[in-house]
Amino acid sequence: MNNRERAMAALHYEPYDHLPVVHFGYWEETRQKFLEEGHITAEEARSDRLTALRQGFDFEWSAGSGINTGLRPGFAREVIKDLGNGARHVRNGDGVVVLEREGATSIQQEIAHLLVDRSSWEAHYKPRLQFSAERGISQTHIDALAAKEKGEHPTGIFIGSLYGKFRDWAGVTGTSYIYADDEDLYAEILNTLGELHYQVLEETLRRCPKGLFDFAHFWEDICFKTGPLVIPSVFEELVGPHYKRLTDLLRAHGTTIVSLDCDGCIDSLLPVWLQNGVNTMFPIEVGTWEAEIAPWRAKYGRELRGVGGMNKNVFALDFDAVDAEIERLRPLVALGGYIPCPDHRIPPTAKWENVVYYCKRMREVF
Amino acid sequence: MSTEILANLSLAVQKGRAKDVEALIAQGLAEDFTAQQLLEDGLLTGMNLLGVRFKNNEVFVPEVLIAARALNKGTLLLKTQLVEEGVKPIGTVVIGTVQGDLHDIGKNLVRMMLEGSGFQVIDLGVDVAPETFVEAVREHKPQIVALSALLTTTMGSQRGVIEALEGAGLRGTVKVMIGGAPITEAYANEIGADAYTADAASAAQMAKSLVAA
Repeated sequence: MNNRERAMAALHYEPYDHLPVVHFGYWEETRQKFLEEGHITAEEARSDRLTALRQGFDFEWSAGSGINTGLRPGFAREVIKDLGNGARHVRNGDGVVVLEREGATSIQQEIAHLLVDRSSWEAHYKPRLQFSAERGISQTHIDALAAKEKGEHPTGIFIGSLYGKFRDWAGVTGTSYIYADDEDLYAEILNTLGELHYQVLEETLRRCPKGLFDFAHFWEDICFKTGPLVIPSVFEELVGPHYKRLTDLLRAHGTTIVSLDCDGCIDSLLPVWLQNGVNTMFPIEVGTWEAEIAPWRAKYGRELRGVGGMNKNVFALDFDAVDAEIERLRPLVALGGYIPCPDHRIPPTAKWENVVYYCKRMREVF
Repeated sequence: MSTEILANLSLAVQKGRAKDVEALIAQGLAEDFTAQQLLEDGLLTGMNLLGVRFKNNEVFVPEVLIAARALNKGTLLLKTQLVEEGVKPIGTVVIGTVQGDLHDIGKNLVRMMLEGSGFQVIDLGVDVAPETFVEAVREHKPQIVALSALLTTTMGSQRGVIEALEGAGLRGTVKVMIGGAPITEAYANEIGADAYTADAASAAQMAKSLVAA
């Protein structure tokens, strides 16, 4: 078996020889630290993939070929105000003014949003969300994927976000105000996003051999530590049908594993996704709010799969802590339909030898 | 003078209806309610009820944000009368996201819930250095300092603030509350914080109990 076959077997509850060892990338600071410690070369330090291979990981789950469902064109980057000491307010590609600091790679603080009402939607955003064939995956790339037939790693199609981008453009507070002040506009924005995703995906899949993609992947990031940043009933009503339409389309083209990256406590939104064809949760934030696949599986059954749920905090400790974490994962892996993966990017607190040990032991144990 | 206005004011806050809040406050003042009554028995009652429902997962972040906007509208309209009546907040909280961390959604939710519980909140923003917290404590003399962190890599800065307060001889003058995605009760105990809460509504309740103690 190769790693593609192993991953797909695990997620379809079929036999496999051993689990692939999967990751979700690194903080840039982590790769830099590993470089300074002499573990990797400068070339490797520029690449998650190369660093991960050196540590013993097999592949990154969410890596795939993406369709373009973002703003087209994006906003031109513009420095709004220089604050001194390497800090500045900058308008980013989403039209949002953010605080940038030299050397900081974490999420930037949002200062002001352009999308606040119908006039700003119609002037700045709606025109940038029109369908065009160029948004799809190029035929050259599709042909290359098809020529490889089934490769060493799962072939994924990265679709985008049906709400998370709206949240990026207007902010959590802004999306809430738009919902309160102009419900029709709120629905129109979400319908525009849903329709654009469908058109671009449909156009791309029409040009692909059936079953080319082993899995499809969405992201949302619309939950926090104790719950959602949206109203679940509204999300179900306005976004759920778009998920259904998209996942039906994917299934018609032979893609049955549909994963979703949504940070935070997703429990109240999970049924909406599951009912609408999203069947693989990624990550499963054990380190933040003690999430685990077991209670979800008990509640929703085998249709609910997962990739994630490995507590990366043990990378900062020692081999015993890594062993204890692997033992914690043992009964979860036994459930089937589950591939452990460190949740989110590996932080600079990780010790090189602990990550290498984790990869080695995972391959031995599972 | 009908107390129905107070109930309606509470409901308008819970529903996030800022225009209704505006009209009801005008009506309440015309009917000789004091600003304190309208604030405490109308606006803050509404926000407190919403906080309980938020904690119980009956309402969600967007509804809290919309309610907070309505509440702010109401308190702004009452500001002059509240000063004239000598109404004081139930306490002062200095709040901020700790150094190295630029996240503010959680911190802002806690601020809104605190304000909705009758606290004066001094919001220092994000990426706040320990010495800035110390200066704010000296200046505003709060009962509580609330520290937010989203990242595992910045949660250590909460300890730094506590140490800075100790170094400045101010630790005994304030209670320190901490929160954020990676924060736990055990971590709060480890760094010597006085309280940890998992969500914004619990934070407001905890703050009230800390100033009442």
